[in-house]
Amino acid sequence: MELILVNLIDGLVTGLLLFMLSAGLTLIFSMMGVLNFAHASFYMLGAYFAFQISLALGFWMGLLIAPIVVGVLGAGVERYGLRRVHQYGHVPELIFTFGLALLIEEVVQFLWGKNQMAYNVPEVLNFTAFAIAGNSIPAYKIFMIFISIAIFIGLLYILTKTRVGMIIQAALSYPKTVEALGHNVPLVFMGVFGVGTALAGVAGVIAGPVLGTFPGMAFVLGSIVFVTIVIGGLGSLWGALVASLLIGWITTFAKSYNILMSDILNAVGIATPENLDDNIFRDLWTITSPQIADILPYILMVLILIFRPYGLLGNRDA
Amino acid sequence: MTAALELSGLTKSFGKTEIIRGVDLSIGKNERHAIIGPNGAGKSTLFNLITGRFAQTGGTVSLHGANLAGKQPYEINRMGLSRSFQITNIFPAMTVFENVRCSLLWSMGYKYSFWNLVARSKALTEGAEAILEQINLSERRNLPAGVLSYAEQRALEIGITIAGGADVIMLDEPTAGMSHSETDYIVELIRKVTEGKTLIMVEHDMGVVFGLADYISVLVYGEIIATGRPEEVRSNPKVQEAYLGEVLEAEH
Amino acid sequence: MSTLSNTTASPLRAGSMILPAAPWIIGALLLCVLPWIFNNNSSITIMNQMWITVIFALAYNMLLGQGGMLSFGHAVYMGMGGFFCMHIMNYVEDFGVALPLPLLPLFGGLFGMGFAMIIGAFSTSGSGVRFAMISLGVGELIAACSIIIVAFFGGEEGISGDRTYGLPFFGVEFLKQIEVYYLISFWLLLSAFLMYLFSRTPVGRMANAVRDNPERAQFLGYSSRWVRFYSFMASGFFCGIAGALFAINYEILTEENLNASSSGVILLITFLGGVGFFFGPIIGAIAFTLLQTVLSLETELWAFYAGTLFLATVMYFPGGLAGLLMMHVPIFRLGNQKKLIMPYLKTLLPGAIGVLGVAALVEMIFHYRHAALGDNEMTIFWTTFDSHAILPWVVVGVVTALALYITKTNAPDLYETWGEANTPSGGGK
Repeated sequence: MELILVNLIDGLVTGLLLFMLSAGLTLIFSMMGVLNFAHASFYMLGAYFAFQISLALGFWMGLLIAPIVVGVLGAGVERYGLRRVHQYGHVPELIFTFGLALLIEEVVQFLWGKNQMAYNVPEVLNFTAFAIAGNSIPAYKIFMIFISIAIFIGLLYILTKTRVGMIIQAALSYPKTVEALGHNVPLVFMGVFGVGTALAGVAGVIAGPVLGTFPGMAFVLGSIVFVTIVIGGLGSLWGALVASLLIGWITTFAKSYNILMSDILNAVGIATPENLDDNIFRDLWTITSPQIADILPYILMVLILIFRPYGLLGNRDA
Repeated sequence: MTAALELSGLTKSFGKTEIIRGVDLSIGKNERHAIIGPNGAGKSTLFNLITGRFAQTGGTVSLHGANLAGKQPYEINRMGLSRSFQITNIFPAMTVFENVRCSLLWSMGYKYSFWNLVARSKALTEGAEAILEQINLSERRNLPAGVLSYAEQRALEIGITIAGGADVIMLDEPTAGMSHSETDYIVELIRKVTEGKTLIMVEHDMGVVFGLADYISVLVYGEIIATGRPEEVRSNPKVQEAYLGEVLEAEH
Repeated sequence: MSTLSNTTASPLRAGSMILPAAPWIIGALLLCVLPWIFNNNSSITIMNQMWITVIFALAYNMLLGQGGMLSFGHAVYMGMGGFFCMHIMNYVEDFGVALPLPLLPLFGGLFGMGFAMIIGAFSTSGSGVRFAMISLGVGELIAACSIIIVAFFGGEEGISGDRTYGLPFFGVEFLKQIEVYYLISFWLLLSAFLMYLFSRTPVGRMANAVRDNPERAQFLGYSSRWVRFYSFMASGFFCGIAGALFAINYEILTEENLNASSSGVILLITFLGGVGFFFGPIIGAIAFTLLQTVLSLETELWAFYAGTLFLATVMYFPGGLAGLLMMHVPIFRLGNQKKLIMPYLKTLLPGAIGVLGVAALVEMIFHYRHAALGDNEMTIFWTTFDSHAILPWVVVGVVTALALYITKTNAPDLYETWGEANTPSGGGK
């Protein structure tokens, strides 16, 4: 029972982190129809910037300043890069963000080298909050949960209760109309792209100490984020939340409980073959859930794309 | 004699909004039939229902007696019905010649073959040349279709629509946005290429309608309020009240 | 019958009725002659890699350029074909079946095609974002499975084999690189020719139509979905051939051949070469392979340059290298090419120096930051100097700034001349 609680918490951390990334991506997609392949790269930049800043000014300054820097960078990319490519169509836009992701990875390697950075949890949070059945829950993880929820609530508030949020919501569906009403839609676009990437940056700042700060971190998380928004439904923020949490919990539970494929197959009535080493299906028989935990999201995505192409909560314009 | 196209009790709703509210229409072979009506009456929706782009909510559409329910647009096209679009819908990156040639491929039986070279087929080339002659675009055959003038693109659109040899042709506002002389030209073109075929046309230009159509149907708020010969429709008081009115006076 | 007077498209562009034989004959001759010119083993190895990549890139462009379908996980079709062939090679070796090596790519192609049929069955119902996402998902899935399913994929070590397994083929045992070269060249010519012909068949033409306007294509009697599916199958076939040749050439296949990196690279290559022309991917594959092999010997940062080049391509010349080349065709046709020589020299030469200067600065910064302590010497452009001294920085900085300034001043002149060169002389139409 206690193990379930531990996994719930761990899965929540992962899920909320994923949500911070997918929320920004969803905003950008809904607004501009662009799937920002480089989104995870901004996440990486957030971690690296925070690390660099924390060397001089400490973790908390890093948390404050790094996302802003990332956001400004993101806005710049939109203004000087994406806007140019936008005229060529959706495919070149995708290819542009893809190339950007490659370049950012190379630049990071160029500036900081290939090794993992010593970006650590700040001392003040480096203790065990509480223990459940012998498993200790670090305070930092609780901190991560709180920050994520706070940001989510802030986002929800801005989008639904403020004037800026109204304009953004309108521009999400009918940018031309909003422009005709006198609002500076290109500025809104730039702002949304900046905020979206800043969100990714925040995720990087808080995830960096836990998941490691190294040049490959964007790549590792990048495709999972896409899977998340596809499962949730392209363009749906609630869908992104549901999908993120779902994926966070599924992968955590799969990793923690060692469910064997052979047990499942036996339960269905297929007996284990005798000479397993020579059997061509031997790999299938020896699959354990931790092994496939990381690819479960992909399987889920392919299934959803076949049977429910608009995702769990998506709308028709995907 | 089976009607070329028969609509019976046709309805279409998007969610709770009923766009087409029960349309009964019978269009005979070789007829030239115009559908007119104020903006928002549902003319484009009607077209989309017939051609399979939208699914019917109720009622039936029959082509030469065969029910079209559930059929994909390409299946309906293979059964002999072809349409043009209100917003010019050609292949802008391909040459004019290519546009026409592609329209001939299926009807000439090539299907999905990957063992013929289209350039080698005399039948395809001559067929495409013939169509280009008809729509008067032989001079422009090697230009990318995207650089043609608006009227030329509309003519190409008509050419693509009739190329496949369909016997029921549906044209969606073929003269939209054209000048007077361009309109006359297109009307002549339509008359020429639809000889011996059934033509169903949505139009706003009354001159075109009364000049070309054998029969007219008036669609208002998703229902047909009148259908018949042009003179009957023109003098029908319901029609005059709902739609034509001053427009008609202005035209003639 | 076909009037070329108002043709703005060149014979190599999809859509013309002429099947030019000249480029194919020249290509074949080049393929035969090149190993005599560059006859050391490393050159032949590089060329082998190049030709395999060309086949893969051409197959990829069947989808991207011809069909308008962006696939993010295409390496799996090449990889699967390769793995399958690897197993065949090992099977033949163990059981002595008389299968001559040159026929192996055919089996690779069939396996690649079969696999594409399975995936394409559900992936081709859309062509835009949905297609791209499914391709990404499937790609990641297969790559991840390849570590788990050791029986087929060999796990971390991959599957290796021996290409000299079988009976000699007319006396050739394929022990030497040069023999493999000619085998690859044969399949390259055959595949490229078949792919070119495919674009001229009804289904190939309709693939273009479906790319431009899937809705309109429906009203031509064609199911857009089936057209895309057939294109996908065909692409899978040729990807499988490339995979088989890879297996023959390198005698080992690993998870790397299936993963997102490889898929990303082929996208880069194809787009760099130019998706709008048949020969675009050929140029892209050659250019990139050279970049990768030759440049990587000179600098650690070659991937950085490749990424920058790619981004610049997307932003400034999305037609790719082929597009750049073909932009000159109307000018040649009008006979105005001489006008361009001076402006090109005045703008592109300083531009090239400027770019090289920036690259030098980048290298110097990198060396300054990352070289081991005490290792102050670095070499670029055949000059050795101390990267911690001020003078080199000043020199490079000044030269670069000057070059870029000259380029900027001369650029408007180039624009003007370009416009002039494109205008038919003696009054326009």
